[in-house]
Amino acid sequence: MRSILRASALCWAVLLLGCKEPPRGPRYRGDGNAHARAGGTLVVHHEADVRGLDPATSYDEVSQIAIKLLFDGLLDYDYELNLIPRIASALPTISEDGKTFTFHLKRGVRFSNGRELVAEDVRWSMEHMLAPSTSSPGVGFFSLLVGLSEFAEGHSPHVSGIRVLDRYTIEFELTAADQTFLNAMAMPFTYPVPRENYAAHPTDVARNPVGAGAYTLEEWEPGVRLIFKRNPRYFEASTPRADRVLYEVNLQRESAFLRFRNGDLDHAHRFTPADRLFLRRSTQWAPYRVEGSGGDIWGLAMNCEMAPFNNVHVRRAVAFAMDRERWSRARNYALRPIGQALPPEIPGYSTTLSSVQSFNRARAREELALAGYPNGIEAPVTMWISEGATGTLYAELAQADLRAIGIKLEIKQVSFSIYLQQTARAHTAQMSLAGWNQDFPSAATFLDILFHSRNARPADAENRAFYRNASVDALLDRARTERDSVLRRNLYEQANEIVTRDAPWAFLFTSIRIEAYQPYVRNYRIHGLWSEFYRDVWLDLPRQRVAMRAAQNPWRNLAALMPFGGL
Amino acid sequence: MLTVIGRRSLWAIPVLFVIQTSVFLLLNALGDPAVAQLGPRASAAQLQNWRHQHGTDRPLGTRYLEYMGGLVHGDMGVSHQESRRSVTDVLETRLPRTALLGAMAIVIEVVLGLLLGVIAAVRRNTLVDTGVMGVAILGISAPTFVTGLLFLNILAFRFGWFPVGGYGVDAMDHLRHALLPAFTLAITGIATYARVMRAEMLETLRSDYIRTARAKGLSEFRTVVVHAVRNALLPVVTLVGLSLPIIVSGAIISEAIYAWPGLGRLAVESITSRDDPVVMGVVLLSSLGVVIGNLFADIGVAALDPRVRTDG
Repeated sequence: MRSILRASALCWAVLLLGCKEPPRGPRYRGDGNAHARAGGTLVVHHEADVRGLDPATSYDEVSQIAIKLLFDGLLDYDYELNLIPRIASALPTISEDGKTFTFHLKRGVRFSNGRELVAEDVRWSMEHMLAPSTSSPGVGFFSLLVGLSEFAEGHSPHVSGIRVLDRYTIEFELTAADQTFLNAMAMPFTYPVPRENYAAHPTDVARNPVGAGAYTLEEWEPGVRLIFKRNPRYFEASTPRADRVLYEVNLQRESAFLRFRNGDLDHAHRFTPADRLFLRRSTQWAPYRVEGSGGDIWGLAMNCEMAPFNNVHVRRAVAFAMDRERWSRARNYALRPIGQALPPEIPGYSTTLSSVQSFNRARAREELALAGYPNGIEAPVTMWISEGATGTLYAELAQADLRAIGIKLEIKQVSFSIYLQQTARAHTAQMSLAGWNQDFPSAATFLDILFHSRNARPADAENRAFYRNASVDALLDRARTERDSVLRRNLYEQANEIVTRDAPWAFLFTSIRIEAYQPYVRNYRIHGLWSEFYRDVWLDLPRQRVAMRAAQNPWRNLAALMPFGGL
Repeated sequence: MLTVIGRRSLWAIPVLFVIQTSVFLLLNALGDPAVAQLGPRASAAQLQNWRHQHGTDRPLGTRYLEYMGGLVHGDMGVSHQESRRSVTDVLETRLPRTALLGAMAIVIEVVLGLLLGVIAAVRRNTLVDTGVMGVAILGISAPTFVTGLLFLNILAFRFGWFPVGGYGVDAMDHLRHALLPAFTLAITGIATYARVMRAEMLETLRSDYIRTARAKGLSEFRTVVVHAVRNALLPVVTLVGLSLPIIVSGAIISEAIYAWPGLGRLAVESITSRDDPVVMGVVLLSSLGVVIGNLFADIGVAALDPRVRTDG
């Protein structure tokens, strides 16, 4: 038996230690073309699946990556997050009272089915999205449109606030001035779609998309892959880009990264902690590694209506108790510590707020004493988290940080839907691990939704801290109508400061995106809003990518084994 | 024999019924699928609309009876995903892929397992025997998620002998891509068969009729292959049926690691996206696989052992 165990150990040793060194850097290089050229297939992936390709309804991150290839909108953002016209010929003109927005469309823009895109298509697409039967998650962003409620209740066939002025001009009228309407008009919900496609596919349009984007859908094998083909009718068709995009879905992180290193995938993102560390340390991948902000905030939401968090000093104590740097280390530096309600790239982020919510255990104990708990809090506090290993890790970190100041934290881990329902119900969850992604690059998408008192409803509350502050409400309402961007930023900064000091959340971090691409992938940049934005990528190596298939001959490394030659 | 098959098949019905009922109730205990599907931004009206469209706003009992009624008629419902494909349609796409993987795994484990077992027995107490049994212990002790990642990293990525996961584009490519995940699935089976076969062979090689065969002057090859292996094989054959449940459960891990788009990966996808009708469908198929595997094992035993046939 001992000899058998010895042999077994030997096998393990051979497998684990004896293997030849894998390539540390990219396997394939670019051709060195300075000028963009068309051609080739860009092969990309995601760990989750595309749920649908209807811009009115498919609002998950993975589907949006595909939607950005298939559709284009009136407005979009450049890489610096400035609003830019796309199908619109220019940014809209806005009336003096800030309630009416007039868009002029580019002429000659065509859907991929060949028909010209006109203002009537924009109106139909908007009304299709706003119709209750569509169940679009985007309706809330357009709630100020004149005539929306009459339309939703079936009293009117059209939204009276959407008016087609001529073949290429359309006007939107709001009940109150709202600067975020421009942001809303750059969301995929508004992307024009041809109504005839919805007539042809009444039940499965999400699988048969037709848009005015750079690509068309060539093939979709659910759960496996989607293939997009360059749209020759795209209004920027002359811009060189990859002929095809092969989008593989449901790939596990470990194997996806191996495939990337093997040259089978052209772009890698969302890594295991070990792979992330490898990529950060790799000098050979360094020129092809990009980093960007995740555009999100994460923290501990404390229910301001429930003890002990109805006392601002307890909330501040929790905010001071969090060792954010340690959290970041625990996630291999995938997190950037922040101590305020906005991520750095959002106008309204304050550079002077760093000490208000920072790690300071002495201050935390002082705040607890001010709250009447000089020796810590006797009764345990319950924190709700959703399923998943990352949530568990964060909960354990929070537990340790709070234990150090005398607060005992109990963890309640439930399914995602139960988490969402219960934390959105008043007087239910004392504390929850919370995160929020931007819908668009505006402070409104964080502060309005998470901290305005109108969203602290008894049920289905988005303000899960049930935080109410009339001054914050007033600042946020003013900011929404303010047309001057500098003044608007100041208003959001003031609101951000009050929220941060009142600490309805212990603001912890924003995530850091790390991505890598093959040397022959050109013009790829991390977009501040869109995840994995591939529309403008061109390939420097279409010829060698074809050769790569031959290089994957399964027997090419036979010699490496003889006798344990490559080991 | 037919009585045995009939009795075992009838037992499958209450087993499947209990499994489906339990999973149905468990999924409902996980919270509202509308909230999981639409996320934190959904309004109350949108949630209600979704529930109405997918029928989850009706009482639990009504939904249960409808589901079970549909099941009797072969209707497993419609996926919660936006594509609204029927569950039968989804499963029809995925099942053949897992079947291919499973069939390849069974062939690999039977062929390699038996071969290694025979070699170890014939060369007992030599370096070969020790080596084979060492590999067998490794195979039995290492879980699929370890061997899977190890093989992917070493055999596919470092040596380049196999594709680094994926499904391929045509029939031959599918086979090429299936080799490594099938081998990973087969590892435990190979080890089990090798150990059992070795033990059986050692027993058989000591029996009188083998001694007689040798005394008659038969070659060692003929003695081993024609006489010993044939008899030692009988108890091992029943293990094939029992390996089906291991293949089904192993496929979940193996398919996820190798990005093989079969039932195992569908199980993971549908659970994470709270696509309850698809989860139910996958569970039904998996439990059916386990029940059929056990049935084959029972039939195998009954066919080979007359006492089981007569006692029932």
